[in-house]
Amino acid sequence: MHVPDGLLGLTWPIYIIIAAVAVIYSLKWASENLDERNVPLLAVLAAGIFAIQAMNVPIPWGTSGHMVGAALIAIIFVSPWAAVLVLSIVLILQGFIYGDGGITALGVNIVNMGIIGGFVGFYGYKTLKGIGRIPAIFIAAWAATFLASIACAVELSIAGTFPLAAGVASMGLYHAVIGVIEAVITVVVILGIDRVRPDLLPDWISSRKTEAV
Amino acid sequence: MKGLVEIDREARKESFMNNLDGRIKLISALLIIVYAVTSSNILILGIMEIYLILLIYLSNVSPKYALKRIALVLPFGGFMAMIQPFFQPGNIIWTGPFEWLHITDYGLFFGALLLARVTVSVTSVVFLSSATSMQDLVASAQKLGVPYQLAMLLNLTVRYLFFFYDQLVNILNAQSTRCFDIFNKKTAYKWRLRKVGETITMMFIRAFEQGENVYISMVCRGYSENTRMYQEKGKIDFKDYAFLSTTVLVIFSLQLVTMFVI
Repeated sequence: MHVPDGLLGLTWPIYIIIAAVAVIYSLKWASENLDERNVPLLAVLAAGIFAIQAMNVPIPWGTSGHMVGAALIAIIFVSPWAAVLVLSIVLILQGFIYGDGGITALGVNIVNMGIIGGFVGFYGYKTLKGIGRIPAIFIAAWAATFLASIACAVELSIAGTFPLAAGVASMGLYHAVIGVIEAVITVVVILGIDRVRPDLLPDWISSRKTEAV
Repeated sequence: MKGLVEIDREARKESFMNNLDGRIKLISALLIIVYAVTSSNILILGIMEIYLILLIYLSNVSPKYALKRIALVLPFGGFMAMIQPFFQPGNIIWTGPFEWLHITDYGLFFGALLLARVTVSVTSVVFLSSATSMQDLVASAQKLGVPYQLAMLLNLTVRYLFFFYDQLVNILNAQSTRCFDIFNKKTAYKWRLRKVGETITMMFIRAFEQGENVYISMVCRGYSENTRMYQEKGKIDFKDYAFLSTTVLVIFSLQLVTMFVI
């Protein structure tokens, strides 16, 4: 889903502006809602997500993919802005160090993986948590990946580099499967943290309920 | 991730390009990329690529290494370029056996143009990251006006990339000593996925714990919310201006050629 440079025609500045506004807002959110302890934590977590994204997971039909982690961050930090910030850092470094995702395409990549991934993951879980913790995490993480890929197909179609129907069908089908893997891993990670370090999880996702004093 | 160490090693080599100011290289690379993605002339992009190869040569980077890095990043852009001839409108120059597949002249040109744009942009990033260390890149971005909060987060992230690379390698080595192979189809897919999830959980928890440790050690050294990162004062000298002027001149000349010659 990392869009490289050159595929967006002249539409890339629009996404750069949207992403810049979102990153500035996420920094504002971090300074207003996080204590100073969490600032280095976000940075170290971004390094962790960078490493996690480097781990390739086999996909049943022979290829491989990797986790994005936007829904995971948004759910654990109880805000989609945390995902925007962490994914922006990861995407900036991936773009400038590896060339994985373009520089002029940084905006579109932040919009898809950070903004759409984070917001769909967060509000997906918020809306669905009534049906149960695990199914809600699963659906939210799956939808975050799936909808981000659909957005990617639409953006490439607007730029005239991929036909809309074929783009939505191929990207959608591929990421519907990748989304299942993202969803399973997100559930496993949250359950794992819940078992080993439950103190790291906020109340809305933890199996431990805060006892009233 | 494996390439991270190689990239950092290349960026710390001694060369004419490595000794230039990071800001100048960052601005030059951005100018080249922006020009490449807006250019519609394959010949001009070819000349731009030759200029970048020259810059990579001046960065004391082995051509084999640079080519390998470019080839690793190209597949997605290359795939997108390769499908263009089949759906872009234009005069049909080839029709497939079942008549639903055809290649158009404009599609062929557009595909080649996309491939040229992607290649120049990726080469530009390879040049930038081979000639500038990651810390220098972040420091340059901050000097150029990136908000200090974002610069600090980027700086901290860069410092811990290598730590997590080591962590991941340790985990994967430990798994392989127990004969675990994620691509081994003889084991159940669900089980392998669970193992990946557990590995990521471990990485995530280590990231959290490392974040806490980093915070404590930063506090011990006087960190507070009003802390500002130290910025080494780098002076831009004649060779930096000369390099930037050369890049601007190359772009300007190519644009003139596009407008009046080709």
